Amino acid sequence: MANALIDFILVSVALLAIGIYGIAVKRNAIRMLFGIEMIINSANLNLVAFSRYIPNSQGQTLALFSIAIAAAEVAVGLALVIVAYRMYRNIDIADFRSLKG
Amino acid sequence: MIEFTSTPIMLTLILGAVGVLIPVINVARKEKGSSVYGVIALGALLAAIGFVVYQILTKHVTPSAIFSSNVLVDDTFGSFFAIAMLIVGIMTTVGSFNYMRGRANPAVYYSLILLSSIGMILIAYSTDLVMLFIAWELMSIPTYVLAGYLKKDPSSNEAAIKYFLFGALSSGIIIYGISIAYGLTGSTNIEQVIVGFSKLGPDMMPLAILAVGMFIAGFGFKIGLVPFHMWLPDAYEGSPPTIAALLAAGTKKAGFAAVLRVIIMGAIALNLHWAFALAVIAIVTMTVGNLAAIKQRNLTRMLAYSSIGQAGYILIGLSVAPISPIGIQASLFHILNHSVMKAAAFIAVAGIVTTLGVTHIEKIKGLGKRMPITALGLTISLLALAGVPPLNGFWSKLMLFGSAIDAGHTLSWAPYLAVAGVLNSALSLAYYGWIIRKMYFEEGESNKRLKEPKSVIAVMIFSIIFIVGIGVYPDPVIEFAKSAVPIMSGLPSIH
Repeated sequence: MANALIDFILVSVALLAIGIYGIAVKRNAIRMLFGIEMIINSANLNLVAFSRYIPNSQGQTLALFSIAIAAAEVAVGLALVIVAYRMYRNIDIADFRSLKG
Repeated sequence: MIEFTSTPIMLTLILGAVGVLIPVINVARKEKGSSVYGVIALGALLAAIGFVVYQILTKHVTPSAIFSSNVLVDDTFGSFFAIAMLIVGIMTTVGSFNYMRGRANPAVYYSLILLSSIGMILIAYSTDLVMLFIAWELMSIPTYVLAGYLKKDPSSNEAAIKYFLFGALSSGIIIYGISIAYGLTGSTNIEQVIVGFSKLGPDMMPLAILAVGMFIAGFGFKIGLVPFHMWLPDAYEGSPPTIAALLAAGTKKAGFAAVLRVIIMGAIALNLHWAFALAVIAIVTMTVGNLAAIKQRNLTRMLAYSSIGQAGYILIGLSVAPISPIGIQASLFHILNHSVMKAAAFIAVAGIVTTLGVTHIEKIKGLGKRMPITALGLTISLLALAGVPPLNGFWSKLMLFGSAIDAGHTLSWAPYLAVAGVLNSALSLAYYGWIIRKMYFEEGESNKRLKEPKSVIAVMIFSIIFIVGIGVYPDPVIEFAKSAVPIMSGLPSIH
């Protein structure tokens, strides 16, 4: 095989790390959505790479489902962010502070 | 292939068809009115629960086989959770009748409750990680929308965004865990994954532990285990109280179904010292939940922290599961009980919000005279949550603590779980008792009896009968929980 499995895994781990960094550090709701998308896509990359290497098709099946589900999830998330923007004129989650205790 | 007439397929068809149909009816209908959609959704849920009970009574359900080569298995374990989830769905739907009157888009609201219920039920039936993940998302995505249902209310939107960000992060972590498990074992079937894990060499073992750790983190977000609980009080407080009932009683318990299907079985097969790790999480979770609940002044927030504490109790039974035979049975029993108790408490709060529009604890003084039935239902469910005999919460807590003591023969630290549980129960009685005191023993602004919402009264009466009935005569439900316990002997082992 031209590309070793380890290359794919390294890229996937890097994507996972960037995604977690994005969620942990950024305070902009859209940027946090980017981070979540990156984590899901790093898992998809893993699944497809493993699926080619093992080889069987289950991983690619799950990757397809996961792409569709991630799209649905982000659609809901963006809708929530738009509602928040209409209310606050801002999407900085540090400004959402009506719930405390 | 799984049969077409098996329980999970039929439940998906019943609930899914009605869930999709309700918005279509909404478009076709000219006149406004919310009750009709609620009644249709209630009919679907009742048909579904009737079908599950019929399947169990006619013995079409296989005994609890935790593994299967299919993606779904029609077993008693799944049916047990299906009944619990459908009871929660019915309580939420009925409790929403008065709450939703005059609010926008009732059709979509009830339809999303049905779709989320399908997800919760399918999680309990799934034996394949692909199915489990899809069911997980089918459960989660509708609840993100439902949490932000009050579009004009900033706190509802804030709750939904926090819930969404943590929920989406948790599903990202779960799918990464699945990808590692698949890479190690070459299969997504849970049985094959666990068999594959038990055959791994020592150099690959850290990756297997990483995968199980990612499952614990991912499922733990939804269950509200400490340190993954920070979103939970905000999400429950901001969302409509009826949806908080669905989240606390439904999605949280479905998370436990996933934990049982994946982590507990995996931990037993891997023969790792997960028991101790889970026990530590259990003690920390219940202590943090109960301590934080004491200082809350908002009813929904207090109940949210209390549900974190209850997740700790349930985890006691799971952490001693490899040793004590009654561990999982006790957890299942407490899962069913807690679903009803917590749903009843949140629906009572929904009734208070509908009538008085308040959730602050100082504002409910004298509620025992103003809204007697709601106050009685809330009192009974709070006492059951605290574990006061002879209510159902007492028996399930007794079994949980008993299982911890029973495991003490093998694990020297296990009895401390029971000690922590009893101390926490006493601690929790402080804030439950405080709510009850405010309602009955302090004078409110007026003693005039208010008109209570009829749907809330119906839920209260049902839950009082359920809680007291099981408390007085718990045997059948304990037997049912016993039959739902997965058979351990078939598990692969590396002893």
